[in-house]
Amino acid sequence: MPIIKQVDSEINDTEKRLNARDFPGLLEQLESNDPSARRWAARDLATHSEAAKALVQRLKREDDKSVGEAILTTLTKLADPVAVACLVECLRSEDVALRNEVIEAMKNLPNEVAPIMGSLLTDTDPDVRIFAVNILESLRHPQVETWLMEVIKNDTHVNVCATALDLLGEVGTLASLDALQNLKLKFSDQPYIIFAADLAIKRISEA
Amino acid sequence: MKRILIIDDAATVRLYHRNILEGAGYEVDEAVNGIEALEKALLTTFDMYIVDINMPKLDGYGFLREIRSQEIAQAPAIMVSTEAETGDQQLAYGAGANLYLVKPVKPDGLLTYVRLLIGGV
Amino acid sequence: MADISISEQDFLIFREYFYRKTGIHFETNKRYFVDKRLVERIKETGATSFQNYFRMVRFEASGTEFQSLVNIMTVNESYFFREEYQFKCLVNSMLSEITKNKTDKAPIRIWSVPSSSGEEAYSIVIYLLEHWPDIDKWDIEIISSDIDTDILNRARQGIYSPRSVQHLPPELLKKYFKPSGAGYQICDDLRQAVEFTRVNLMDVDDVRAYRGFDVIFCRNLLIYFDDVSRRQAAETFFDALKPNGFVCLGHSESMSRISSLFKVRKFPEGIVYQKPEVNK
Repeated sequence: MPIIKQVDSEINDTEKRLNARDFPGLLEQLESNDPSARRWAARDLATHSEAAKALVQRLKREDDKSVGEAILTTLTKLADPVAVACLVECLRSEDVALRNEVIEAMKNLPNEVAPIMGSLLTDTDPDVRIFAVNILESLRHPQVETWLMEVIKNDTHVNVCATALDLLGEVGTLASLDALQNLKLKFSDQPYIIFAADLAIKRISEA
Repeated sequence: MKRILIIDDAATVRLYHRNILEGAGYEVDEAVNGIEALEKALLTTFDMYIVDINMPKLDGYGFLREIRSQEIAQAPAIMVSTEAETGDQQLAYGAGANLYLVKPVKPDGLLTYVRLLIGGV
Repeated sequence: MADISISEQDFLIFREYFYRKTGIHFETNKRYFVDKRLVERIKETGATSFQNYFRMVRFEASGTEFQSLVNIMTVNESYFFREEYQFKCLVNSMLSEITKNKTDKAPIRIWSVPSSSGEEAYSIVIYLLEHWPDIDKWDIEIISSDIDTDILNRARQGIYSPRSVQHLPPELLKKYFKPSGAGYQICDDLRQAVEFTRVNLMDVDDVRAYRGFDVIFCRNLLIYFDDVSRRQAAETFFDALKPNGFVCLGHSESMSRISSLFKVRKFPEGIVYQKPEVNK
């Protein structure tokens, strides 16, 4: 049985401070060639409120997924307007995986995202509008239903409306019923919209 | 009976596709993103995947690349997306899709392609 | 207060939301179980209807009520050999892959977190001793951590109720335990075999020194965390693992709701998650 050994001192503090962990030191580490150094820098920058800009700059060039995730977690924790503005910029990226990570990060920033939600939902790019609705999926904010109603009332793009509709089936109340009925008229040739609107209406009326 | 895995983060879309496919006699399972789809596809054999592109954690491209690199029976995949640009289509085929459809799909259209790719139930 | 009832549509809406968030899917035959617990929470929070309650769950900024729901919809009880299939997977599949690729003779390191009162860490030791054919060829280190120092002390003492050992085969109970009061105490050799440490997974400084693990067991913990904490825990595990190291989650948990850092690996005993060698 002594095959299983006691750990001697594997868990200790020596690894803690191999490099300078002050702000300039961390920024330097964020550009290191070693992904693990970059990842740790990204994690440690969570205590530096001025780090958002550098983090996003790195995020755009970052090709190591684990570093990218750490940067996004830190941006979520920083939660300042600079971080949010940079996240919005990334929504326009062609990189699908990055975009989806950014959407997830923004879901966790209700107070910071709320003020810009209106402009995201009326962006000229329908993809950005769809992503904005995706953010609403988990955004813990009381205005979600109102935003969704605005979308199905005003948006002319079928997939933007379809995405909003999916969510309204879950969070919609009697207040959404008229907008849902009108949406069916607007897209009367789209079986999916009819299906999803009917489902939402049924859920709301029978709840 | 042939089994189809529907991979989409939108519950309503999954239900819509499920109704169409079950209505035609196929057996259906669902996953909300690429990782859950991989978990299911590694544990059960499916005859086809219907895959959305934009999903959290692992998107449709990522799912297809992963599944195509696994040493398991390879089922055909239909990719469905809100994006109509040709670049997306090329990415989808590059990742291993057999067919690319733009959302929202019509029931008859979907069934025609499914039957074409895997035959009737 | 008027009777609160859950309609079929309410159930469907809740079921979809809960599945999306946790990966746990309630079959229709679980409806009674689900409804009963929902009503309990609705009354407890003073909400007047399912609709009002669900809005609170969805939009409450802190997410606290959602966590309360997760707590009552899942059963978390620790006992010896819980989710045994994963220990089987460890000795039959993961360890052979790890030893096959190992280029040194350094110990294989396993981290069990949260330790709770130690059942999981000791189960791993017993399982290795009983079922791993290569136990004589390799050194193994088992570290088990928890945020709660009281529970760590209990783990170090290793005294358990009959209920907690009820899934152990009687011969193993006899071999590795001695009677203690109304229960059993794990033998000294095993108590010496596991290192129990205090760690807060959310504290970057706490976890920094946890490196170089081959396997991490983290079962039925992350499901009780919010999205951001969960991600952060996944990042911690990623850093703590060697390349190609494994993470085992509880059977009702899925990495698909947590992080995309890991690869999905299928072994005959089930699904585990693996840190990739490169992270493109």
